[in-house]
Amino acid sequence: MSSGEWSGDGGKWLDAHYDPVAGLYTFSSCVDLADLSGDGESRLVVGDLGSGCSGMKLKVYRGTALMSESTLLDLPAGLVAFFMDLHEPRIPAVAVASGPCIYVYKNLRPYFKFTLPGLEVNTLEQDVWQQVREGQIDPLTLKEMLESIRKKADVPLSVRSLRFLSLDADDMDDFVQLHKLQPIRRQTVITCIGTLKKSTADEDGVSCLVIGTESSDVFILDPEAFIILSKMSLPAAPTAMDVTGQFDVEFRITVACRNGNIYILRRESDKPKYCIELSSHPVGLVRLGKNVVVGCTDESLQGFTQKGKKLWRTVLAAPITTMAAMDLPTRGFQAVLVGLANCEVQLFRDKNLLSTIKTPDVVTSICFGRYGREDGTLIMTTKGGGLMVKILKRTAAFDDRDSAPGPPPAQSIRLNVPKKTKLYVDQTLRERENGLVMHRAFQMDLSRLRLAAAKAYVKALESSLTPMSSSLTEPLKMNAVVQGLGPSFKLTLNVQNTAACRPVMNLAISFLYDESLYRMRSPYLRIPLLVPGLIYPVETFVECTSDKGISDIIKVFVLHEGRSSPLLTAHINMPVSEGLMLS
Amino acid sequence: MGLFDKLAGWLGLKKEVNVLCLGLDNSGKTTIINRLKPSNAQAQDIVPTIGFSIEKFKTSSLSFTVFDMSGQGRYRNLWEHYYKEGQAIIFVIDSADKLRMVVAKEELDTLLNHPDIKHRRIPILFFANKMDVRDALSSVKVSQLLCLENIKDKPWHICATDALKGDGLQEGVDWLQDQIKTMRT
Ligand SMILES: Nc1nc2c(ncn2[C@@H]2O[C@H](COP(=O)(O)OP(=O)(O)OP(=O)(O)O)[C@@H](O)[C@H]2O)c(=O)[nH]1
Ligand SMILES: [Mg+2]
Repeated sequence: MSSGEWSGDGGKWLDAHYDPVAGLYTFSSCVDLADLSGDGESRLVVGDLGSGCSGMKLKVYRGTALMSESTLLDLPAGLVAFFMDLHEPRIPAVAVASGPCIYVYKNLRPYFKFTLPGLEVNTLEQDVWQQVREGQIDPLTLKEMLESIRKKADVPLSVRSLRFLSLDADDMDDFVQLHKLQPIRRQTVITCIGTLKKSTADEDGVSCLVIGTESSDVFILDPEAFIILSKMSLPAAPTAMDVTGQFDVEFRITVACRNGNIYILRRESDKPKYCIELSSHPVGLVRLGKNVVVGCTDESLQGFTQKGKKLWRTVLAAPITTMAAMDLPTRGFQAVLVGLANCEVQLFRDKNLLSTIKTPDVVTSICFGRYGREDGTLIMTTKGGGLMVKILKRTAAFDDRDSAPGPPPAQSIRLNVPKKTKLYVDQTLRERENGLVMHRAFQMDLSRLRLAAAKAYVKALESSLTPMSSSLTEPLKMNAVVQGLGPSFKLTLNVQNTAACRPVMNLAISFLYDESLYRMRSPYLRIPLLVPGLIYPVETFVECTSDKGISDIIKVFVLHEGRSSPLLTAHINMPVSEGLMLS
Repeated sequence: MGLFDKLAGWLGLKKEVNVLCLGLDNSGKTTIINRLKPSNAQAQDIVPTIGFSIEKFKTSSLSFTVFDMSGQGRYRNLWEHYYKEGQAIIFVIDSADKLRMVVAKEELDTLLNHPDIKHRRIPILFFANKMDVRDALSSVKVSQLLCLENIKDKPWHICATDALKGDGLQEGVDWLQDQIKTMRT
């Protein structure tokens, strides 16, 4: 069954298969792709959780069809395909982690079962049960004693005692009869599983299993002998992990823990080397090259370096349901797929959203890789048990930063900064050596400059040399033209209102001059209303009364009625009178 | 058949036709072409094609030069460089690979919309191969999934084949030969 109606992804994916009633209930940690038959065609291996208490199965799909299924005894916590030996043909085994055990399947047949070593049992607890066996205490006393041990002890009680404590008084007797003869055991359970290449980085190299347990430990298992090669402890129980490197050379295990922290374990130490403290709990962990991308319960996605330095954080539209890496080595493409509770799967490269896939149901598991013969296959299962397969188009290209706001691309372009010249180096040396002197010289020059500026300003104020009005309500411009040879001159003042639309009224012009040299016909002129933009010529006549061939300046003031300070002043340098005095 | 063709046939001079053999990897292109060659020239082992290979075989009146292209994803961008030379296309589909039927359709659509193909009345022969495999799709189902009924401006034909035994191949080649002859006259 294929459907094209769900593609809201800009046509980057082909809808290869969708079966809404496949009956697959699983999470990303229980899905893997592997060439289980050695024929170059990858199969889909799924640890199906069934209803959660029954119907747990190991299912294998080939193409669109379910190829095989076998019953699992317990809920799967994780599933990985891995090469456990060097036998030909190179066919990977499948490891299913459930409870305290790992079930290894070869050729899809049960092959080996590994059980984690038991934990230390509380001696007081052991004594109490011993007394029960000998008939010295009754179930009620047992309950009291166990309660008190539970409160005080550093070694926690076994599952059997905890179960007993939760029983009603009626059921206690039967429970004690049934269990009292068996020795007490305390078992931890596996919470997550991964693989780690033993000594080569080859695609089909032998891998160790790496398991995280409820007892806050991480174990590395030898793939052939199934002995514990290494044990590391964490401050809290791990929930998800990523493993990279090779056991014999150098490796790095990144673990998300239930205390809301992420720890990074390295080969040389059995304690975490780095710690990332998150502000909210991690729900998914994916490594992209050398960076780690973590999805948190606060609907955020965060990027860190492998040393725990935070790189970025981006906010999502809905809570995260699952995460997976999208790695296409043939195209050199790496990104992270994030399933969201709003029926979307979003693809991020760093903090940039590259594309969104709309799904008909909430996606609970994502797996990307080679399926069948197609390298770029995306497999998703949904909350309702559906199976969806999409294939990346050969021609699909993802634009970086297609919609996400962020720094402009120009920011990441390297500038061609020229090399440091000898002159530059000499100058910097000089600056370093004579810094104090240079600073003083600069300050001195700066003070001089300020003084010069202030002097010029004062001079301008004193001589009122401003041909433009600075008043906001009456913005005026004026220029003066003197015509004639003398002794009579015609003085034309062109006045303009430079306001955008406001007329200016009640203006007048008066003159200040040496009365022994000049005589003016009307030393006081009224100016009509000034319409904005037009130039108004105002004319008057000046007569020079001296015949000594000297000239002076005439000051012109534009005044506003009722105000003493002029709006505008201008100095007119009068030319020397060349004509003869007539009278 | 024209007089010249008959004459040429008697003389052993046959018309040369360039055929492109396309389809996804593992669909059986090389196996099919190998089957069409005279039995003494057939190869025993067939390995995935790298890039492409040129093969020749003859029918009663035509001499075919086949460009057997590799169907692997990374070589598929080579196909279009040979579209101009091709006078006919053989498109092979693995009828048992239901998952990748969409991929085959995508590549077919890209082919049909290519400028060197789009406006030519070039005959296309579809081989719905591997019909011997259990659960293989029928040729009717394959033509439905590939939407072959939408090809209106080119002659096309689909045959169910089993390249391992050679079943169905002759029917297809006969059709192709007829098409090429009507094209020419
Ligand atoms: N069962 C079956 N297998 C076939 C059939 N035709 C081809 N095969 C097998 O399919 C596999 C691939 O055949 P090839 O001829 O190499 O395929 P191809 O299309 O040339 O592949 P590339 O060169 O990679 O593009 C071989 O193992 C063939 O034996 C068929 O009709 N039935
Ligand atoms: Mg081939």
